[in-house]
Amino acid sequence: MKIKKHSTRESIDGYLFILPWLIGFLGLNLIPMVATLYLGFTDFDMLSSPEFTGLANFIRMFTDDVRYWASVKATLYFAFVSVPVRLVFALFVAMMLHNNRRGTHFYRALYYAPSVVGSSVAVAVMWREIFGPNGLFNAILAKVHLPADTVWLGDPRFAIWTLILLVVWQFGSPMLIFLAGLKQIPTDLYESSSIDGAGPVRQFFKITLPMLTPIFLFNLVMQMITGFTAFTQSFIVTNGKGTPLDTTNFYALYLYSRAFESFQMGYGSAMAIVLLIAVALFTGLIFKSSPMWVHYESE
Amino acid sequence: MKKAILLLIVLTVLFPLVANGGGDKAASAKEELSIIWWGSQNRHDRTIKAIELYMEKNPNVEVTYEFAGWTDYWTKTTTMAAGGMLPDVMQQDYARLAEWQEKNLLTALDPYIKDGTIDLSNVVDSAIAGGRINGELYGLNLGMNSECFVLDVDAFEKAGIPLPPQNWTWDQFESIARELHDKLGIYGMGDGMLGEQHWKTIYLSNGEYAYNDAGTDVGYTDESLFADYSEMIVNMQNDGVIPNRELELAKYGISIETKGMVSKESAMEYFWSNQLTALTSAAGEGRHFYMTHKPRLTADGPAANYLKPSMFFSISAQTENAAGAAKFINYFTNDLDVNKILAAERGVPISSAIRAGIKDLMGPAQIESFNYIDRVAQDNSPLPNPDPVGHSDIVNNVYNPMYLDPMCYGVITPQEAVHTLTVEAKKILAKNK
Repeated sequence: MKIKKHSTRESIDGYLFILPWLIGFLGLNLIPMVATLYLGFTDFDMLSSPEFTGLANFIRMFTDDVRYWASVKATLYFAFVSVPVRLVFALFVAMMLHNNRRGTHFYRALYYAPSVVGSSVAVAVMWREIFGPNGLFNAILAKVHLPADTVWLGDPRFAIWTLILLVVWQFGSPMLIFLAGLKQIPTDLYESSSIDGAGPVRQFFKITLPMLTPIFLFNLVMQMITGFTAFTQSFIVTNGKGTPLDTTNFYALYLYSRAFESFQMGYGSAMAIVLLIAVALFTGLIFKSSPMWVHYESE
Repeated sequence: MKKAILLLIVLTVLFPLVANGGGDKAASAKEELSIIWWGSQNRHDRTIKAIELYMEKNPNVEVTYEFAGWTDYWTKTTTMAAGGMLPDVMQQDYARLAEWQEKNLLTALDPYIKDGTIDLSNVVDSAIAGGRINGELYGLNLGMNSECFVLDVDAFEKAGIPLPPQNWTWDQFESIARELHDKLGIYGMGDGMLGEQHWKTIYLSNGEYAYNDAGTDVGYTDESLFADYSEMIVNMQNDGVIPNRELELAKYGISIETKGMVSKESAMEYFWSNQLTALTSAAGEGRHFYMTHKPRLTADGPAANYLKPSMFFSISAQTENAAGAAKFINYFTNDLDVNKILAAERGVPISSAIRAGIKDLMGPAQIESFNYIDRVAQDNSPLPNPDPVGHSDIVNNVYNPMYLDPMCYGVITPQEAVHTLTVEAKKILAKNK
């Protein structure tokens, strides 16, 4: 075969092409990951050489660190609330924009905009201003004669909700994927069902939703991972200390604080290992449960 | 053709790397010096100008520099140290100097003082003693600093309250703050009254300190001293005399510019003395500030203030140009032109010749802080040992999350909070034994 004759040459060419990416992948991803796996079992403080301490980091994490459990609680709460709300919201907007009316393209771009700017520091800073004691949100509450003296970012009951709202607002990427999914659903399904007398609500639950379940699965997994590793929101909006009362002390934030602010790189690495396992477990669970609710057309 | 394109792409990708690598070698005729510091925008601007002036005066030296905010600075330099890439000159802090020295990351400055590269003829020994570890100097102090209470003179006059005496007590403080609040309807005192610095100085004014000398245990036995203080502050927060923790987090405690004193929402405010320059420029024209000592436990007892080296310049142990680094540190300490640019922003200069040389150029705020430092120099407690290894762990993982927040949100009482703080801090300090 012709291809075979050239394969060595061509694969060298290919590797040359991906070389810049490969260097980045090895230097910034793979090698640090392997190093983390090792450092998790040491007392590395970044300044002196690491000493092997076995399972000490993990034992301390699970038995002698109340802040650790506060961060687990905050992260689970954040992920389990924000992910479903964000997905439902994204689907809702995708349904709105799934038509061929004039100007739809403009609105699609418009609604995607928060996600383009969304992960940026600037938006998080803006969020802090909006929910500040004299911020926009309280000003609106005052306008409609509601109590407007809540300190949203300083109150342990509400601080995490400002962060949940922030990520729900950034619904753009799951929305785009839903939109693509909606376009894949054959229109004849809708046509024949409306001849049989099904209304829009029935069509949504009997056609749209089941046909979208594979997309739902993909979005759920991706968003779950994002939720578990949330960092920027609390780092900027609530000043990176997990305040108030550790209610916004997300796992990734606490890991960062231990590793880079308290210089306990070994402990931080151990936390990263546990996070990796937890994310893998949750992803596995979602996949395991998928035959019960995901509908593939080919079946 | 295909090959030609491929070659072109590969060259485009690799060329910058090659060019860069070669370029450094070609320029190596110049002496290279790298510097890193932390600070505010104001400090960055001044320091960059100072470096440019240095290169003007020494055309054979090429200075590269980096800067960052406080937290990022330590992340950055720690990572650099782990990779053996520390700059030649690094800004150091009193709290970290010992830890870095212990890990052999710093070079002693004494040889360069002996051979005259660093000239200390106009500097009294007490001004540099804070940089000494086991008899050797590992950091040269860049300015004298002390905690202070800044009083809004206009607010005091408006309320008809005389300024407090230098040796005022916490009881006097409470009644003055409450009176200011009652008469003016603003906060008597700004936020930041429960930070770890107060933990240290409550005990300092009892002749003790938060940590013992060896850094292996807490330095006090009577928890109730700090518990009483904490309770007083929490009560004042609850009564609206001091901003509560919610407002501190969301509004006042974010930066100097957001402090209540800037917006005339508080009549007194807690600062480090070198922050007065920044406070004055944020507050604008026409304000009158007076700096005074921190209150103490008893009027005739030890002062709650100590003179602290605001920050140091140290020479990294990973340097290849220690002599050049020493020369730069000397320039920073003794050159009048550069100190006119730096304008005592890092604290009151240690050289008496420089202090005299720049005093005429200073604004009222800087003169006030010079005078304040003179007053503290007459009335202070001895400089405590540098914070022990584990101090940042205690602040991040014990003080804020286990003492401060639960107490301010009413989860635990001040007595319980101080007890938890003491017990947990002891655990971390015990590792230093």
